[in-house]
Amino acid sequence: MPKTVLITDDTAFMRMTLKNVIQKNGYVVVGEAADGEEAVAQYLELRPDLVTMDITMPKMDGITAIKEIMKHDPNARIIVCSAMGQKPMVIEALNAGAKDFLVKPFDADRVIEALRKAAP
Amino acid sequence: MISRKVDFLRELGTIGMGHATTALSEMLQGKLLRLEVPDVRILYFEELAEYVGGLDQVVAGVFIQISGDVSGHMAFILPVESAAVLIRLLVGDGQEHGVFDELGRSAIAELGNIMVTSYLNALAALTNLVMKPSIPGLAVDMAGAVWESILAGAQVDDEVTLIRTEFFAEGVAIHGNIIFLPGEDEFRKIADVLGLGAV
Repeated sequence: MPKTVLITDDTAFMRMTLKNVIQKNGYVVVGEAADGEEAVAQYLELRPDLVTMDITMPKMDGITAIKEIMKHDPNARIIVCSAMGQKPMVIEALNAGAKDFLVKPFDADRVIEALRKAAP
Repeated sequence: MISRKVDFLRELGTIGMGHATTALSEMLQGKLLRLEVPDVRILYFEELAEYVGGLDQVVAGVFIQISGDVSGHMAFILPVESAAVLIRLLVGDGQEHGVFDELGRSAIAELGNIMVTSYLNALAALTNLVMKPSIPGLAVDMAGAVWESILAGAQVDDEVTLIRTEFFAEGVAIHGNIIFLPGEDEFRKIADVLGLGAV
């Protein structure tokens, strides 16, 4: 069965770009969240195999959303996709439970490689 | 302004913009982008809009507030015509999108966000100081009005020190600039960390 993915990003353009890349590679995008709150709610409802998570977002940022999701499901597989690639932020995200950290702009191969590694 | 300070600020602009345009180039499948030497100025608040392309020119501006070890403001500003070309190259779904439709606006906001954040990432790596970007704001309007949006709520003194770096693309009509507006104390903080003492 193809793996399911929840995409989280506050810009419609980035959600569309990620969705195109992910779907072309055999995954099914089951949800799209525009902030951390939506990501947590959709995660609990849809239980996707994988989540992509932006960091800087309105309402709830990505780090808080990762912590919330991990509280409910310590086995959640979350990959950060953010422009904010500064070391302390990367460490914070990985400590919160993220499996990988991709700095935007990313190329399609790198996204798929991260998804495959997180959920073989 | 003391020439040493100008040199230092120019260098920050070059490093930051080097990374920002590398990010843009990657988003445009490796298109070559050329940088101008950064321009460092102290301007009165009222002179800002005129300096960045004239009050009446219609521009798209993405603005981001910086917090963390260094605070300040950054803006990515480009003529509306350049924004339209970029939207066509970035979205590429065969449909026409402009700076006034949702997907077009979203593409420019994300592009500005990635460029400004790459600029900050480079300075952060250089200094070991954390510079956190806010959620980007986007305004498409006459330059004067866009500046008002950028500086709304900001504690800006009468005089503003800014670093502006302009870029041009080869073969397509794209140009724009990134403006970094840190407070006076913030310049000092960066200079101290880099061991430059009083600049």
